[in-house]
Parts: sequence; C-alpha cells; structure tokens
Amino acid sequence: MDILTFTLIMLLAAYGAGLLGSLTGLGGGVVVIPVLTLCFGVDFHYAVGAALVASIATSSGSGSAYVKEGITNIRLGMFLEIATTLGAVAGAFIAVWLNNNVIAVIYGLVLILTGTMQFVKKQDHTGIRGSEAARRLKLFGTWPQKDGSLKAYELRNVGRGFSVMGIAGMLSGILGIGSGVLKVIAMDNMMKVPFKVSTTTSNFMMGVTACASAVVYVQRGNIVPGIACPVLIGVLLGALTGARMLKRLDVRVLRKVFAIAVFMVAANMIYMGVTGKF
Amino acid sequence: MAQNNTDLQMLIARTLRFGVAAAAIIAAIGGIIYLWQHGSEPMPDYSQFNYTDATYHPADYTTLEGIIAGILDMNSRSWVQLGVLVLILTPIIRVVLSLADFLRERDWLYSIITAIVLAVIISNSIGGF
Repeated sequence: MDILTFTLIMLLAAYGAGLLGSLTGLGGGVVVIPVLTLCFGVDFHYAVGAALVASIATSSGSGSAYVKEGITNIRLGMFLEIATTLGAVAGAFIAVWLNNNVIAVIYGLVLILTGTMQFVKKQDHTGIRGSEAARRLKLFGTWPQKDGSLKAYELRNVGRGFSVMGIAGMLSGILGIGSGVLKVIAMDNMMKVPFKVSTTTSNFMMGVTACASAVVYVQRGNIVPGIACPVLIGVLLGALTGARMLKRLDVRVLRKVFAIAVFMVAANMIYMGVTGKF
Repeated sequence: MAQNNTDLQMLIARTLRFGVAAAAIIAAIGGIIYLWQHGSEPMPDYSQFNYTDATYHPADYTTLEGIIAGILDMNSRSWVQLGVLVLILTPIIRVVLSLADFLRERDWLYSIITAIVLAVIISNSIGGF
C-alpha cells in the first residue's frame, strides 16, 4: 500500500471515529486504536499516540460547541484533573514496560466495561444532599433547563470520585482513550453529578488529561506525523459534525448499536492479546 | 462563579475554535507537502516500535528545536508535528485562562488547584524523556 492510499483511508476512518466519538461521548480514540492495530497491523505504541491526538481533537472540537451552554462545571473539572493528570503521567511511564499483547488485553477489558455501561439506565439525580467536603470545595453548581431557568445541584462522595478519576487518568496515559466509562462510574454513579453536567465536564477534562501524557508521547516518538496528520484532521472534522448533529438527534439507538460493535472488537482484542498475536 | 461568567466562556469558546482551526490548517500544510513528496512511496513500517533505538525518535518531530528547524526547511513531518503541538496547547491555554479567572475572582483555593494541574503538565513536558 502506498502512503497516499493509507492517508486517505485513515482520514476517512478518523472522520468516522470523530463523529461516533462525539455522538457517543466516548472520544475518537476508541475507534482509532482498532483501525490502526487490527486493520493496518500498527504497533500499539504508535496507535496509543494516535488515540491521544484523537482524544484531544474530540475534546476541543466538541468542546467549542458545548462551552457556550454554560453547563460545564469548571471547578469540578479542575479539581478532578489533579487526579487525572497525575494518573496520566503515571500511565505514560507504565506504558513503556507493557508489550502489545498486554495493552490489547487492558484495552479489551476497558471496552467491555464501556459497552456494558451503555446499557445501564441513566438516572437523573434530583434532590441530592451534597456532602460537607463538596460544599467546602465549592463543587455545587447550577445548570440551565429547557425553559431557560437555572437548576441547582449538589454532589457527594468526593474522595471516592477523585480516586476513580485517578485510575481513569492512568488508563488514559496507557491507552490514549478518554476512559469515559470510569467517568460515568465516578461522576454519575458515585458523585451524583447531573448527566448533562458530567458529560460536558468530562469532555473538558478528557482534553487536558490527554495533554498531560501527550507531551511525553511526542518526545518519545510515539506520535508519528504520518499517522497523526490524517487522525488529527479527520477526527476534528468528525467531532465538529457530531457536535452539530447531537443537538437534533436521538442517539440512544446509535449508542446501543455502537456498544455491540465495541463488544466484538473487545473480544477480538482480548483473544489476540491472550494468544500473543500482536 | 466561573461557569456563569459569559465573557470568559466566549473567550474559551473562541480559543478552542481558533486552536483547533490553526492545528488543522498547519497539519494540513504538512500533510500536503508529505503527500506531494512521498505519496507514491510504500507505507512506512509501523508494525514495530522500540523505545531504546534512536531511529524511532528522530529529532525533526520529537524535539522542539528539531521541529522549529524542520519548519524552516519545509520538512513535512515537522509541519504536521507543529500542528499536533498547537492541538496539545489548546486545552492547556484553556486551563491558563481558567487560572487567570480564578485569580481575578480571588478564589485562592481554585487558583492553587488550577496551578497544580498546570504544574503537573508543564513538569511532565520538561521532564519527559
């Protein structure tokens, strides 16, 4: 295959990755890794670098659409970023010692968890009484309702949420993907953040967390221009399209279909990893 | 509160949009040069990566000096990587803007929290090998 063909195929795949990543809230990296490793036989240490580029592109691309709505809780995001960036730094250093097969299995397990969480019903928390720690950290906020009024919310379990986000950051440093699944567990299930707030806040955090490990990956040569170029441009355009579509599209069916595809890729990754095919 | 500050929100939205547009344009310039010069060559071998072998991290896209030198030489790989650097900088600038806003509000707790996040990223980009 020549470079032109590879670049054009990657550009198209990255566009799809950005589109799906922003519609499902999982980020572009989830699709980029299997395309590179399973279809093109690319080493995971390059694929993870590309996934980091994809994660930052999805975050900033769809973030420019979200931020105006005023639902991102910047304090909550910033506080949890201490955990995610420290985790990401640790993950980036651990990744050096992991071979392709181990990374494939970890990736597969995260995918299975991700797919499963797509089927868990989201409950919108109302009347949550926040904890003292959350009050001291000024993590309570308001979010706009459909009629334009502001609704106040409180949250709790700050310590537990913080620890889980540390693990999320570490996985992001190893796999390059935003590990949105742990965000759902930490922010939605534990801390009881309203769903819309947690989605946009986690999107904001995903970019910053990916940056913390990307600065290391660039210097190591894991982010290689021949792959990064189509991924960056494709994912950005896809994420912009996705953010626009999200406003008038019901994505519940799409999420379920995507979850099934995710299971199939996960099974493939784990099988190949365990049998040492990478 | 920070999330209700519409001026800052506009500035952040504009920064994000400008940052991603600049990153995409710079990477596209690099991509066009790359395809023009090498498009018909066979795809490079990405099937293996080695951390200790120096040929896997050439200076023209892994060091700041190398990238800047490559930009002046119209080296396609350096141009693409500059686009990647601009993309990485965009969320970091967003954190810097938030820090400025917390300082302006005299919210010392969150000024410190934001400064810690920035310190982690900056020390990592200097300390990374």
